[in-house]
Amino acid sequence: MSALDELRQLRRGGVQVRKRDNKAAFWFLLPWFAGLVFITVGPVLASFALGFTKYNLIQPPRFIGLDNFARVLGDERLHNALRVTFTYVFVSVPLQLACALGVALLLDKGLRGLAFYRSAFYLPSLLGSSVAIAVLWTQVFGTDGLVNRVLGFFGVEGRGWISDPDTALSTLIVLNVWTFGSPMIIFLAGLRQIPVVYYEAAAIDGAGWWSRFRRITMPLLSPILFFNLVLQIIHAFQSFTQAFVVSGGTGGPSDSTMFYTLYLYQQGFSRFDMGYASALAWFLLLIIAAFTAVNFWAAKYWVFYDD
Amino acid sequence: MLRGVRRGTAWAVLLSVTASLLAACGSGSDAGGDLTTEKVTLRFTWWGADDRHKRTQKVIDMFQRKYPNITVKGEFKEWNGYWDSLATTMAANDAPDVMQMDELYIASYAERGALLDLNEAKKHLDTSNFDQKALATGTIAGKRYGLPVGLGMYSIMVNTDLLAKYGIPVPDDTKWSWDDLKTIGEQVSKAGGGAVFGVQSPGINDAAGLSIRARQQGHAMFDADAKVVLPQEIARDYWQYVLDLSKSGAAMSPSATIEKASAGLNQSATATNTAAFGLWWNTQLTALTAASGAKLKLLRLPGETQGKAPGAYYKSSMFWSVSARSKYPAEAAAFVNFLANDEEAAKVLLTERGVPANQKIRETISGQLKDTDKAAKEYLDTVPVSDPPRITPNGASTLDTILKRHTEDVLFGRTTPDQAAASFIREVQSEVDAAR
Repeated sequence: MSALDELRQLRRGGVQVRKRDNKAAFWFLLPWFAGLVFITVGPVLASFALGFTKYNLIQPPRFIGLDNFARVLGDERLHNALRVTFTYVFVSVPLQLACALGVALLLDKGLRGLAFYRSAFYLPSLLGSSVAIAVLWTQVFGTDGLVNRVLGFFGVEGRGWISDPDTALSTLIVLNVWTFGSPMIIFLAGLRQIPVVYYEAAAIDGAGWWSRFRRITMPLLSPILFFNLVLQIIHAFQSFTQAFVVSGGTGGPSDSTMFYTLYLYQQGFSRFDMGYASALAWFLLLIIAAFTAVNFWAAKYWVFYDD
Repeated sequence: MLRGVRRGTAWAVLLSVTASLLAACGSGSDAGGDLTTEKVTLRFTWWGADDRHKRTQKVIDMFQRKYPNITVKGEFKEWNGYWDSLATTMAANDAPDVMQMDELYIASYAERGALLDLNEAKKHLDTSNFDQKALATGTIAGKRYGLPVGLGMYSIMVNTDLLAKYGIPVPDDTKWSWDDLKTIGEQVSKAGGGAVFGVQSPGINDAAGLSIRARQQGHAMFDADAKVVLPQEIARDYWQYVLDLSKSGAAMSPSATIEKASAGLNQSATATNTAAFGLWWNTQLTALTAASGAKLKLLRLPGETQGKAPGAYYKSSMFWSVSARSKYPAEAAAFVNFLANDEEAAKVLLTERGVPANQKIRETISGQLKDTDKAAKEYLDTVPVSDPPRITPNGASTLDTILKRHTEDVLFGRTTPDQAAASFIREVQSEVDAAR
């Protein structure tokens, strides 16, 4: 039976076939669904329960009520971790999105070899949270690293960027900004959606580049910007690999790269306090949920839906 | 990652439930029983560098030839990854049968019930050639959770090539003080002109420097009840000393110090010939000599004659431990026995894991040692020591990282030595309390 016949039969078959399709869909979804239940949902619920216990990974968990959650308030190193994480999120995400938008606008001009540039700029996004890149970063920003060699060429004396608590976090921010590829691709797609007639009409009315950008591009792109903002903020809050590798798992020097997730990890796997680590995981979920909610609320005032 | 952690936790719970059910109906041997004749596989894990992996694999092959029905699967990692991985596999009830254990962690694992009391496997594990004092280092509350592998001692490693180059005489280590080390370090730095420095500062990788200074004054980090008894002024003086090394130029800049010290043995200041003096294990002489290509010499610790007691002691460089949940404890013990007592195995392993704690083995291999190994052995045989400190208590396995953070805070001027001392003692005590 050719595909065309099959299609005809499908059309003729009506409800009955659709039911069969549903069944097939169920079977195809089952592996994913099983994964969701056993690998994600089950453990998520278990971690919620563990948040109320003292659990050292080997002996059975012991119920301790809200102690773990109360500890959050008095834990100074956690507060430092929050400070580091917030700095990271609120500096790196705007910079990253600005870069992504800037490059997307350039590429949208209809450059020759666009596909190549698009891939080239996207590449860091694929590599960005990998261990290899983090290892590379420690070389690039080390005392004898690439950055200092280039600076030395201009007669500027470098420093150990990663081993100095004043600059260690900045290197991670640069790393995150560098991976602007995935929001850039989304911006590019968004820019393609904006009807050219708007720009033509504006140009005829004598609008310059800036006012076209501000009055046409920005409003019509705002849903895309919003989407990227929400996604990248969530993503940045969950960053782990970079800080883990660059600081050798310590979050140092002087806790200057101690991301929230790294602190959580240390509680669970270095201090064997999985109860507290689970409570911290849920606390992070609340923080991310709160920021996302604020984002959605604020969106009413600046996101424009053209429909 | 976040999701990964939660996922891990719950898997751990799930697996431990399943495993305990399975264990109830499993057919594992017991530690005191006969060795099985069935085909079994043991998992064996250790940390270390390439040289160790090669030697260990050779010994595994020898063991498998002797016991054809036992397969030993080796898993090796570097130090940091090793403990992360051990923690997760333990949690998942998937721990290796035999593991290389460290003094810093042995109480943490033993007191959580993860390690087998090797006394139960006496039948397969001969400890008669071990010094009682050495054996005691792996014993907690009468139970033998680890068999010491090798012994090591802290020492100052000096690069005599560098000193000769700058015309600075090698100090007399039978009576030198910490101040002497600083002074000569300054001389080297001056002569080195920014390329070579005097001292690779202690306080980044482990608590050795602090612990030695406390012991020299007749104090210790912990008492028998796992209470932190380190006097605050000793910790303060220690960090003041580390700060002075940095400020006087005897050591590198803080960030270079941290970078070099965190980069592992082969990138360390000693291995790269960029510092003349460094605090190391005497048994690391061979590896560091190979890495640096320079002539290195072992010196006694500074301050040993000015204080009340020698700070030096015999430390078990590591232990062999068996998982309490191993399905084949008898076979695991037999494998440990092979590692610890077999003469052919010893001839392969030599002193790579420290000067063997097994005295008979120590004699067996003495003819095969390289010059640097001989020097390490001689250091161990001649330098005066005092009794070893209490084993690092349960909960304090984060001691080294806590110390590192405080050293960084001091070096970068984020805190004073005095504040660092108070904060360090408070934090270590709270770690120990939290683990109870």
